[in-house]
Amino acid sequence: MLLKTDAQSPAKGNLPSGRTLTHLLVKTLLHTVAANFHFRPGLKKYLQTDRGWFDFTVGIRTESHSVETAIRFADGRVSVLRNTPADCEVTLIFSSDTAVRRLLSATPTEQIFMLMKSDLKTVGNQSYMNLFFFYLSLLLHKKQKKSMVKERKTERRELQKKQPTPKTELSDELQQRHDCRLAADKIDAGVKYLQDPYLSGYGISDFPRVEAFLDTHFTTTAEVCPERPRLLTEWCKKHGFETDSDGNPWIPELRQGHAFKYLMENREPIIRTNDLIAGTTTTKEVGVVVYPDSHGTMIWGELLTVPHRSLNPYNITEETVDLLHREVFPFWVNRNFKEWVRHHYNSPLCQAIDERFAVYFVWKQAALSHTIPDFPKIMAKGANGMIEEIHAQLAESGRSPEEKASLAAMILCLEGLVAYAKHLSQQAGKEAAETTDPKRKAELIRLAEICGRVPAYPAQSLDEAVNAMWIAWVGLHMENTNAGLSLGRLDQWLQPYFEVDMAKLENPQARADYIRYAIELVACFYMRCTDHLPLTPDLANWYFGGSSSDQAITLGGLTPAGEDAVCDMTYIFLKVTEMLSIRDPNVNARFDPEKNSDTYLKRLCEVNLITAATPSLHNDAAIIASLEPLGYDIRDMRNWSATGCVEPTLSGRHIGHTNFEMLNMVAALEMALNNGRHPLMNWKLGPDTGSVAAGDFETFDRFFKAFAEQLGFLIDCSVAYNNMLGRAHQVIRPTPMLSSVIEDCIANAKDVTHGGARYNSSGAACIGLADVTDSLLVIKKLVFAEKAIGFAELKAAVDADFENHPAVYAMVKNKVPLFGSGSDEAVAMANRITKFVHNRFAAQSHYRGGRYTAGFWSMSNHVIFGTLSDALPSGRQAGQSFTPGLTPEPHASNSLLDNIRDVARLDPVHMNNNIAFNVKVVPGGEDSRQNIIDRMYAYVKSYFDLGGMQMQMNVVTSDTLKDAMAHPENYRNLLVRISGYNAYFVTLNRDLQMELIERAEYGL
Amino acid sequence: MKEKNQLNPGRKQPLILEIKGNALDDGPGIRSVVFFKGCPLSCAWCHNPESKRVGVEIGFEANKCVGCDTCIGVCPENALSRVNPFFVDRTACSLCFQCVKNCPSGALERIGRPMAVEDVVATVVRDKSFYDTSGGGVTLSGGEPTLFMDYTADLLRLLKAQGIHTLVETCGLFDIDAFTEKLLPWIDTIYFDIKIMDPADHKRFCGASNETILKNFKVLHEWAQNGGAEVLARTPLIPDITDTPENLEAVAAFLKQCGADKARLLPYHPLWKQKKFKIGIADPAGQNPKSMDAFQDETALQNCRSIFETAGITL
Repeated sequence: MLLKTDAQSPAKGNLPSGRTLTHLLVKTLLHTVAANFHFRPGLKKYLQTDRGWFDFTVGIRTESHSVETAIRFADGRVSVLRNTPADCEVTLIFSSDTAVRRLLSATPTEQIFMLMKSDLKTVGNQSYMNLFFFYLSLLLHKKQKKSMVKERKTERRELQKKQPTPKTELSDELQQRHDCRLAADKIDAGVKYLQDPYLSGYGISDFPRVEAFLDTHFTTTAEVCPERPRLLTEWCKKHGFETDSDGNPWIPELRQGHAFKYLMENREPIIRTNDLIAGTTTTKEVGVVVYPDSHGTMIWGELLTVPHRSLNPYNITEETVDLLHREVFPFWVNRNFKEWVRHHYNSPLCQAIDERFAVYFVWKQAALSHTIPDFPKIMAKGANGMIEEIHAQLAESGRSPEEKASLAAMILCLEGLVAYAKHLSQQAGKEAAETTDPKRKAELIRLAEICGRVPAYPAQSLDEAVNAMWIAWVGLHMENTNAGLSLGRLDQWLQPYFEVDMAKLENPQARADYIRYAIELVACFYMRCTDHLPLTPDLANWYFGGSSSDQAITLGGLTPAGEDAVCDMTYIFLKVTEMLSIRDPNVNARFDPEKNSDTYLKRLCEVNLITAATPSLHNDAAIIASLEPLGYDIRDMRNWSATGCVEPTLSGRHIGHTNFEMLNMVAALEMALNNGRHPLMNWKLGPDTGSVAAGDFETFDRFFKAFAEQLGFLIDCSVAYNNMLGRAHQVIRPTPMLSSVIEDCIANAKDVTHGGARYNSSGAACIGLADVTDSLLVIKKLVFAEKAIGFAELKAAVDADFENHPAVYAMVKNKVPLFGSGSDEAVAMANRITKFVHNRFAAQSHYRGGRYTAGFWSMSNHVIFGTLSDALPSGRQAGQSFTPGLTPEPHASNSLLDNIRDVARLDPVHMNNNIAFNVKVVPGGEDSRQNIIDRMYAYVKSYFDLGGMQMQMNVVTSDTLKDAMAHPENYRNLLVRISGYNAYFVTLNRDLQMELIERAEYGL
Repeated sequence: MKEKNQLNPGRKQPLILEIKGNALDDGPGIRSVVFFKGCPLSCAWCHNPESKRVGVEIGFEANKCVGCDTCIGVCPENALSRVNPFFVDRTACSLCFQCVKNCPSGALERIGRPMAVEDVVATVVRDKSFYDTSGGGVTLSGGEPTLFMDYTADLLRLLKAQGIHTLVETCGLFDIDAFTEKLLPWIDTIYFDIKIMDPADHKRFCGASNETILKNFKVLHEWAQNGGAEVLARTPLIPDITDTPENLEAVAAFLKQCGADKARLLPYHPLWKQKKFKIGIADPAGQNPKSMDAFQDETALQNCRSIFETAGITL
């Protein structure tokens, strides 16, 4: 052979020593990129920002340096470098030459997986990587779009081949569930006016306005909205970010207060056609909010292709692309949480681990939003009343400049909110004048009145309270990333306004009309909440599939005084939840086994059946028991709300950042089996804890200790990263608007990012409890107790993904009672793990004060973490999903009751950030609605009586899900619960879809 | 006296096949079903063929086997062979269960194990909360729980002491005096099978006369009308055997004659056939019409139902 084509071996000739043909290939490609930028005038403009030329270098090399080069963009020129300089802004490191070549021919989805699976890793500022990808995309986007379309078509064809004819009886059945509705007698003491609290007389067709909104929701493609990033960047450029226009350092709170006020004063006041609620989160019908101060630049590389991707595409105009690329992103490229940490802590290990995807994801790089604002305060006191309160604090002597700045910033924010409301009022007035339809005219006049009054002054009616809340909600999202910021106990907080309105009405018809109106108003509020979506790069479609913002609403349960909290508004919210069946707001229902009624719990089951997936059900007694050791006031504990997915936050006074991280516990087990090395990343990151092959583990407890040490190491690292990112928030984006509606921040004159709230904590989602428990049980029983197999032999089978080890595979699958089988030993093992995790978190110090808490739910990450993990001793094979939340393995038992009992026996005290227990139940064809509800009720009620914390039911068959995969057009609103949040099944990636299909299915 | 002996296999201690949790079709609410091993009848279509014999058996499920051959090596009787379609030569097997112990996959299985009454109670009582919230309880089924009067009486008594609703599913062939004396005080509901009215056919397909069965039903139904345990007649619909209009009309007439106005029909399902292979029985020739391979269709079912409804019996 004359030409040596083996990419791995160094080629002879004029290549530098150690370099390969791939090196040559990469350099040629980079030279082509450079030439394009030099010779195509249309491209050159992209080398420029509004304040000069882009100036950065991207290193590109392989681990072995068989490829090593770089591309530099500076002074409007592009050059290819001989080596990778040490000071590159970012370096892309490929695992091998093969990986380089594979990446070049991979589909867009394959490229994402190469990155997640460590074929490619990065060192340095990832914004520059995304910018570099944007440049590549300028050259390749036509090809990229084509390959996206091709990938989509191929997948679609395959699915339809499997199931060519749609089974319409299955899709019809889901729709028909809405038509059969039970009624109930008034039982709950707090229900004052609803004679049939189930409101069975109402269906969605009774509300044409809402029906139209719903249709828009399902048919509108979201669009990236330039408003927030434009206004924010504009202000910061003019007034400075690190220092003000006089060159003095900004106190970050004050800077944010001014910027927020500017943003609110200058945003477009929009009233959606026909809406009963004024104001919008963005200027688009459904807008994607860009937060360049957190993770916004992650979309940079996809600006040209995001409308064409298969999963959750967004539209984006050319002007927005230009604005973001030239004016916005260049300003924020180093001014975001992640880069602040990289710079200030000199690229810490804890950050490098996060950026490899497989072990943990620390959410604080994007948001600190998981909390519940004090809506009752802004409704009852009004922004002006709050400003007065803040002024009183400002007047106190001895305030430090920082304290004064924090308070002044809160005032600025509240003023911004009021200014926005005023603009909305004017807009409503203007539209009222232009409208000829008398009914709409009256509505607009009323809206003008409402916004003229709230949120500046106290709300006096339900419509004022709802509008005040919405305007505050818009404001909060202009400040905080739309990731899990949650709404709280809206039934409790709106009931007083409902009662005030109701008390004014005397005749039955007026009351009936008003109840109808209240339902419609709340429905409009739900639909308002769908007006924005988080900005997710395509990678996040696989990491956090199909998740919207997860704005949790919490209903029912106990009052702060410990009484039954169920009221008229509880049932009105449930009615709306049932009629709309939308993914977000994420509805969570609290149930106290002692105080709440069976009528209420059965209604929760009925709504769950009709919507197929919501609400999520919580046991007040167990949740409160889990929080008790934290020393919170009992009245505050009873006032908890679900946040984001399922996690408890003490409403209005607690920054619990309850989703600070998604932690892969299975990674720790893999590291314990490999003496600290993570197999997929091929990275020895953990401590030495002993080698299986060397026979270092004489007892099971020694191995458990190794596992605990690896897990402890990962916990410590993720906590360290969280603390660093927390400090980044204090510098980059303190949140005075949010602080003004969190109890004690005003009195403490301190921003929430500094610990101004009454209660502080951060909570983790620990993923893979069932998989880890089962694996440890296998090791304990078969290796140590029965000595049926040697540890090394078991590990060899695991390392081989059980290939050629059928007997070992059969044994681990069949001979060990698993978690969820009713085995005491399995429950004890699970409790041992949760206790260790809880204690390790509890021992950490927290940057805002307060504690770290541990939860066992998984959002969507049980799927991706499964993809990024090798085989396990439990027999779970490489790449397979973990179980969702802490749900037992599907084959743990044939009886759902064994699952339920085992989960209920876990000690809540070690799970103080809550759990997600997923159950898939399907009604039999012949059972009556009442029979089905009674059975669902029995499962839930018993689970709660036995001490279970949380449960969520998917009421849908695998056959229906399979049909939806092949024929998504018949299932646009098929709602499923992943592990803490709801999603539309047809918007999920295929791995998540398969995971849902493979869940154990129990008859009802 | 003679009949009494026939009905008593002399074993006080039954073997338990399985305790099935979360059962939704064996009585009201959420239930646990305790399956006994052993039955005085031998119905051709028996849905639980492994429950027919009183003694312990060995089961083999080919689809679970991974072919490791560990079992062949440990069998002291050389009873296992890949050439044998049933794998286990049951004439040679001494039921030592060494193979079961060493089988990694669970393909080889011991069918039936002795369980102390207290252990059965301890198992089912774990789900008490679910019985309470659903109006469910414990169902004794089989096999035939009345084959073991003393054991069953103990079990029922202990269940009642825990406040658990009890239901007994029976083929009806038992000693009525022992039943009323030992079991009836602890039973809430009886599901009583009336399969075939023609005595000759009953003997042919079920292996015993139906004389005692029908007598027993009458007695228990009278008890029920006087405030005793509720009795519900059930007829399994077996194609061309029990589901003929003649038989169903006769069953309905019998029930009417007893004064029963409620009954239940159990639609046929062919899944039992796979179970037979597991315990080493091929399809019995002659008793296996083609129609027994399929699920019952809706029209056939409706026809059966209308016979009962015409006779004034609620289903």
